Amino acid sequence: MEAPQYVAARVQQAMAEDGRTHELGIRVDIRGDQLFLRGQVSGPGQRERLGQVAHEAAPELHLHNEIQVVEAGEPGEDEHLD
Amino acid sequence: MSILTDLRIAAVGDIHLGEDDRGRYRKKLEGIEDRADVLMVAGDLTRHGTMEEGQVVADELRGLPIPVVAVLGNHDYHSDLQYEIAGELRDAGVVVLDDDGTVIQCGDRKLGVVGGKGFGGGFAGKCASEFGEREIKNFVAHTRYIAESWKVALKEIVAEERVVLSHYSPIKETLEGEPPEIYPFLGSYLLAEAVDTAGADLILHGHAHKGSEKGMTPGGIRVRNVALPVLGRAYAVYCLDCEGGL
Ligand SMILES: [Fe+2]
Ligand SMILES: [Fe+2]
Repeated sequence: MEAPQYVAARVQQAMAEDGRTHELGIRVDIRGDQLFLRGQVSGPGQRERLGQVAHEAAPELHLHNEIQVVEAGEPGEDEHLD
Repeated sequence: MSILTDLRIAAVGDIHLGEDDRGRYRKKLEGIEDRADVLMVAGDLTRHGTMEEGQVVADELRGLPIPVVAVLGNHDYHSDLQYEIAGELRDAGVVVLDDDGTVIQCGDRKLGVVGGKGFGGGFAGKCASEFGEREIKNFVAHTRYIAESWKVALKEIVAEERVVLSHYSPIKETLEGEPPEIYPFLGSYLLAEAVDTAGADLILHGHAHKGSEKGMTPGGIRVRNVALPVLGRAYAVYCLDCEGGL
């Protein structure tokens, strides 16, 4: 059986290189036959695409897509540099 | 209320707009002219650097009531269309820096902006050097060439305030939060060394989505990582020379 580290690396590579996602900052953890994705993206579409690409790269694993969708908030307070 | 001589710089990087984001970022820029004198965009404007995405970005930034200066990021290079994307942005009125500089008139003040994408290599003591295989030498030489161009541009520019706009980071501090193993791909100390030599008031960069906002070069120049995921807001505003503060 392939070591989980190599499977995780392959999933990560797929999410970075696949034309649908090109996402570099997603953490991949594998425990037994469970695959966990964690990180932040700017929209729900990207989260779904990442789940799809990860699933295709490791279809034998049960996927938990825990990626968070974070919308950019209102511009906050100014910082004064002097 | 800000004092008239304040120079207010709005900054953001890594907006990573895709084709399904049309109109979404523009909404967040409404009223920016009341908050800032200029908007600086620190690269990674697109997701995959396609022409379609470049057009979305150009439309989002088109016709803003304040000047917009941008550099591209590694994502904008992915489809080998960086020159076309830069052209699209310029047609929309955005000043795109490519290892050169520009001067923006902000009220009665001249603001010089120098920069470009930047590149990696790592940080003093833990970095690549121009030695060995051609591929490694090319990698380091690329960063060196960029740093040298910025130094020259900073020395030549005539302005009261000088800001450096980059995608890659010049220092480690603003990378905190990223795994240290990938620091060499996130920036290079050669960029900081060049800016410290020539002098500047502020360095803005993006690229490190999990990094930290604030840091400083060894020479004491303030550095801000304005990657959107780091800021968690549409843009940050930095005020230069705010004598007396608010
Ligand atoms: Fe980015
Ligand atoms: Fe980047």
